[in-house]
Amino acid sequence: MKILAALLFSGAAGVYAHHSFAAEFDGSKRVTLKGTVTKVDWRNPHIYVYLNVKDEKGNVTEWACEGGPPNVLLREGWTRNSVKEGDEVTIDGAVAKDGSKRCNSRTVNLADGRKVFAGSSEDNTKQ
Amino acid sequence: MELVRVITSAIVFRALILVYVLAPAAPAQWLHYPHKDTPRTPDGKPDLTAPAPRRPDGKPDMSGVWIGSTKYMINIAADLKEVPFQPWAAAEYKRRRDTESKDDPSGQCLPLSVPVKQTITSPFKIVDVPQKEEMIMLYEGQRHREIFMDGRPLPRDPEPSWYGYSTGRWEGDDLVIESNGFNGIPWLDINGHPSTDALHLTERYHRVDFGHMSLEITIDDPKAYTKPWTVKESPRLLPDTELLEAVCENNQDPAHMVGK
Repeated sequence: MKILAALLFSGAAGVYAHHSFAAEFDGSKRVTLKGTVTKVDWRNPHIYVYLNVKDEKGNVTEWACEGGPPNVLLREGWTRNSVKEGDEVTIDGAVAKDGSKRCNSRTVNLADGRKVFAGSSEDNTKQ
Repeated sequence: MELVRVITSAIVFRALILVYVLAPAAPAQWLHYPHKDTPRTPDGKPDLTAPAPRRPDGKPDMSGVWIGSTKYMINIAADLKEVPFQPWAAAEYKRRRDTESKDDPSGQCLPLSVPVKQTITSPFKIVDVPQKEEMIMLYEGQRHREIFMDGRPLPRDPEPSWYGYSTGRWEGDDLVIESNGFNGIPWLDINGHPSTDALHLTERYHRVDFGHMSLEITIDDPKAYTKPWTVKESPRLLPDTELLEAVCENNQDPAHMVGK
């Protein structure tokens, strides 16, 4: 129930800004990453979810996906424990323009179907 | 006797640990804390359309945690048909847009401009101290502003600063804040409208009711714009909460901000 309320609320408030989205990420290059969380860096100006993504050959690549700042996420109902090390997640996001293994996450989906950290600075570019 | 005391202490200590372990997670800071001054509807929810509170002297009480609208944080001139740029400012704005705002100083964790502070997704808090003839504007994140209500003039030839120097006065029920002495470094919005050390900023706040206020921001910067221009926005109250901490300590973005 709390999760639902948080999701509903994030629809209205799920935008934030620290820097220009478009300076760093390519909104036209989407990526869906499925992997295991290795670390959640719950710090300003953006949280980062680090995850190990395994390809068909079994090669593992570490990605870092940026989210909102803790103060904005807290107001939307999320906490530093909403995603934990070892969680299996699927992240939809936009990839970094410089080719590094970084993404700006639009949604982080947990294995049980819950969506966390909804909202992306990309929403700001639509204004 | 001593043994009983030791055993009792041990029991109390274990009980405390148990309480600590079993207690629901303590709320982060005072993210949700019902305030005794919040008017409520019969079902106990904050009544955001209740009348605006007033100070003992009859002036509106502007106190509270307020948040602006992202529309103006991104483009402070969103409602203007045409921005009266000076030629160099038009060229600089175009350059900032063409490079996707990659040079925004706030991307380096430098302070935001006052107009962005009043419109960003992080709230501001007004603390009214009438007995000291001063209002304090606190921000989630960094810095604060002091608004002197004692009739003093704005400084002449001030030392340029990020947040400027502010005085306030009442015009009827409107709180009017005038500021000067800015350093011209922070952008007026994320899109990159520029300003200079000639910026004279006027903010006019009007508390409509308990949960809503109107805010007019007038940009008067003759070095960057050919005439003053005004933006109207509507900050809303965040009831039953307090400001959170937000220190820009882990900024990984600048190394990856390539623009176009």
